[in-house]
Amino acid sequence: MSNMRTRNLIAGIILLVLCAGYAYLTAHLPTRAIENTTQPSFFPWVITICMAVLSLALLAQGLLPIANTETPKAIKVPIHRLVSGLILSVAYFVALPLLGFVVANILFFAGLMYLYGERRPLRIVAGSILISLIVFFLFREVFQILLPSGILQGVLR
Amino acid sequence: MSPNIIDGFSQASQLETILAVAAGCFIGLVVGMIPGLTISTGIIIVLPLTFVLEPEISIALLLGLYVSGMTGGSFSAILLNIPGTPSASATALDGHPLARNGEAGRALGIAITASFLGGLFSFLCLYFIAPLLAEIALKFQSPDLFSLVFFGLTIICSFAAKSLIKGLLSAVIGLAIVTVGQDPMMGTARFTFDQVNLISGIHFLTALIGLFAVPQLTDNFADMMKSETVTKKAANIKSVLPKLADLKLMRLPVIVGAPIGSFLGILPGAGGPIAAFISYDYTKKLSKNPEEFGSGSPQGIAAPESANNAVTGGALIPMMTLGIPGDPVTAILIGALLIHGLAPGPLLFIENGEFAYGLIFSFFWANIFNIVIAFIGLRYLVKVLVIPRTFLMPTIAILCVIGSYALRNNFFDVYVMFGFGLLGLAMRWLDMPIVPLLLAMVLGRQLEEHLRVSLIASKNDVTVFFTHGFSLFFLCLAAASVFWSFWAEHKSKQKQEQLEI
Repeated sequence: MSNMRTRNLIAGIILLVLCAGYAYLTAHLPTRAIENTTQPSFFPWVITICMAVLSLALLAQGLLPIANTETPKAIKVPIHRLVSGLILSVAYFVALPLLGFVVANILFFAGLMYLYGERRPLRIVAGSILISLIVFFLFREVFQILLPSGILQGVLR
Repeated sequence: MSPNIIDGFSQASQLETILAVAAGCFIGLVVGMIPGLTISTGIIIVLPLTFVLEPEISIALLLGLYVSGMTGGSFSAILLNIPGTPSASATALDGHPLARNGEAGRALGIAITASFLGGLFSFLCLYFIAPLLAEIALKFQSPDLFSLVFFGLTIICSFAAKSLIKGLLSAVIGLAIVTVGQDPMMGTARFTFDQVNLISGIHFLTALIGLFAVPQLTDNFADMMKSETVTKKAANIKSVLPKLADLKLMRLPVIVGAPIGSFLGILPGAGGPIAAFISYDYTKKLSKNPEEFGSGSPQGIAAPESANNAVTGGALIPMMTLGIPGDPVTAILIGALLIHGLAPGPLLFIENGEFAYGLIFSFFWANIFNIVIAFIGLRYLVKVLVIPRTFLMPTIAILCVIGSYALRNNFFDVYVMFGFGLLGLAMRWLDMPIVPLLLAMVLGRQLEEHLRVSLIASKNDVTVFFTHGFSLFFLCLAAASVFWSFWAEHKSKQKQEQLEI
């Protein structure tokens, strides 16, 4: 079985499961006692049916040789970088409300610079601090977008 | 002359608006020329600005970016053989060989001039066709509008995907996401899981940032050192102004490319890359020197460049008159308009005529500033190509986060953006296009509203969609686009089987 057929098969199964979940939630949507009108669940049911039919078709494409299964040219991203990027992003999103945009952005920026291949410590430190501060003040002072300063709230009023 | 036209022109010609167009053009040229950054990413970067600026100024900025992004894409295609945007892929075929022969300046000059002429032609199309189409669209009733949106979605799926099923699935996922939040007819909360943040639904701009930016940021993990190879070639630019002989050579490709680009721009989903390749192909067939194509023909540069810039004006026509975006950029423009309480569609010309014409004239200025900034600043602009990605990519990442947050001053939207980023990666793994999902998110509420209003008015009689003339016409077009897509897919499979044998 070709690579793309396997992917179609996996995606078909996942989508069918999601479709079942969506159908379950749709079935439990509240109804309105208004005459000659469509219920709030009407459109979600239309979507459920379409999704079910299309997911089954995708599943069939995974099981049978009925479609073009040319696998797209993959961009070779080193997996360790991808995983590190994911971990860094999750840590950043957790820290963001606590630390605020300045501190969290400096740390995130420095981490990303390292992941993108920068190894000179001075560049990482200077770049992450400088750009994060410029972006923060640009948005806050020039564009008047209030960005929470988190733990630096006392310093950056 | 209608007072709206005069007011629109004066609105678009105010200093702030002009400056916004010029700034947009500058950013567009920079973003367009950097391989690994698309016009959509550029728009994402400036997106937070649109929340605080006046609507006419923010739209002017985005239009400048849109127009110049197309032109900027050709710079790296010519200098590096790496298209800055997908629309510039065809430009590299002849642009890079010409640059390799030491005529980089000539190639760039041809590309800039052809882009300008293509853009100008599409401005004329926009100026003359959009108000007429809006007038026709005023006659549409709910069943017609439902079928129109339905057709818009099917044709996007047909163009955007190699597999129609995956295109349609992408659109259906987008529609399912749109159902989160209040039901558009009765205000009933759906799929909100008692989360206050979900009551108003998922904002499509948040989804867009995640879907475009996260896969692009991960792609750049793969080719981090590319910027190092640019400097020597970028420095080798002499005179950029095209000579008279080149201008004469450009007549045919511009005459072919500009109408093709404008027409394909009007069709939702077709977009710049398709227009550029079709224009290249037709110009080659009609040229007196087809053998020169592929080895540095000036016509081979002008054909795709005039077409891809002509797409911009074409794509604005359905966006402004029908509220149907032709590509992700026009989808973002719709989002920017909605944020300011302006709904694109036929009523835009009636209720906000001055603004509608202002938008059209801002597009005109965008084309003017595009050529001016490109010619004057080219030698300095190409230096941007040497900015290390180690600085560029993290900057984009934090701008995306701020953009998501600033939309509703909410961390929840930042997490949603990241979730959509992961969805974008999964869809890429499956070779599923993201454009149908995005456009379904823009059009989904309209689709549901028109469907339900039509059914209520007709007392649940579905034949209402076949008895209205416009509706039937759009449904026939939708069916034709689906059949065409199936046929194209079948042909592609046959070709693949023959290759395997």
